[in-house]
Amino acid sequence: MSGESRLELSGATRIHHLVQRAIGRLVAPLWLPIAAVVLRFFCGHRIENRPSVQEEFRRLRADTRSPLLICANHLTLVDSFVIAHALAPAWRYAIDFDALPWNTPEETNFANTPLHRALAYLAKCIPIRRGGSREDIANVLNRVVYLLDRGEVALLFPEGGRSRSGRISSEGAGWGVGRIVGAVPGCRVLCVYLRGRSQVTWSDRPVKGDRIYVDLACIEPKSDLRGARRTRDLAQQIIKQLVHMEESYFDGRQ
Amino acid sequence: MIDEKGKQMDQAAVMERVVKILTPWVKDEKALASVSLETNILEDLKVNSARLVDVVIAFEDEFDIEIADEDVDSVNTVGDAVNLITSKLD
Repeated sequence: MSGESRLELSGATRIHHLVQRAIGRLVAPLWLPIAAVVLRFFCGHRIENRPSVQEEFRRLRADTRSPLLICANHLTLVDSFVIAHALAPAWRYAIDFDALPWNTPEETNFANTPLHRALAYLAKCIPIRRGGSREDIANVLNRVVYLLDRGEVALLFPEGGRSRSGRISSEGAGWGVGRIVGAVPGCRVLCVYLRGRSQVTWSDRPVKGDRIYVDLACIEPKSDLRGARRTRDLAQQIIKQLVHMEESYFDGRQ
Repeated sequence: MIDEKGKQMDQAAVMERVVKILTPWVKDEKALASVSLETNILEDLKVNSARLVDVVIAFEDEFDIEIADEDVDSVNTVGDAVNLITSKLD
């Protein structure tokens, strides 16, 4: 790893991560198969071309020399679970727990009861409060940068929230994703376009029994700009890639 | 602080220009009418956090300064923005 990130984490936060990862790894063999069974059989979600998606992710993970940030479009509350389910089988995460992406769910959606908080903790979540103080948001972004620098995988939704229109907004890329990519030298971005075949706009969950379309594209955003322009440029490169993937999806349906 | 016309810029002048820059992104125009240094940019003015990057770029252009990502971490209120810009102009 580069180890050149400009952002620093406190010792307490680093220990917090070590403990969260250790506990998550310890109990992963218990909850990962259950989650996979729930998604596959109770929810009936079937990932299209899952073998090739998993082969591509395995190939990208094998190159551990550069950090890997997953950026996806966002239509349902369980997208992060479905993406993890699509990218690798549960048994692989149990063996290679670092491959299970860290993600940053909205605190009010996933941390409002002790049970939800516990599940989010085990599933490598770092809750974030949208519209919260800049310091709190910066702390979460710093943690993601730290994890990427360590060779772990993180998942972000560049739009920040679920798309109300059901389509990616090219204006929607926030500050955070550009800032993270800009702070992690050599960061690869795995763009994931995910959509249930019956999905029209946004919802809590995909339609029960739906087939889930998944498309992957790995890019390495770069920018010669400085300051905030660089941050915006990096974020827009990711959004443009996702928009392109969305256009391919809809073109393919015609 | 000297503006482009060679005049000394005080805090009020910086604030006036900051508010002018924020105006296109403000969703709560009532809050804008009573804006002060204590007004929170996201919570009170309802500026979309995803658009903060555009606001910062507009600050950079208006005042001919460069603002690092880390600088923005301490900006919650209009007064924070004014103080940050003022410190860059010094």
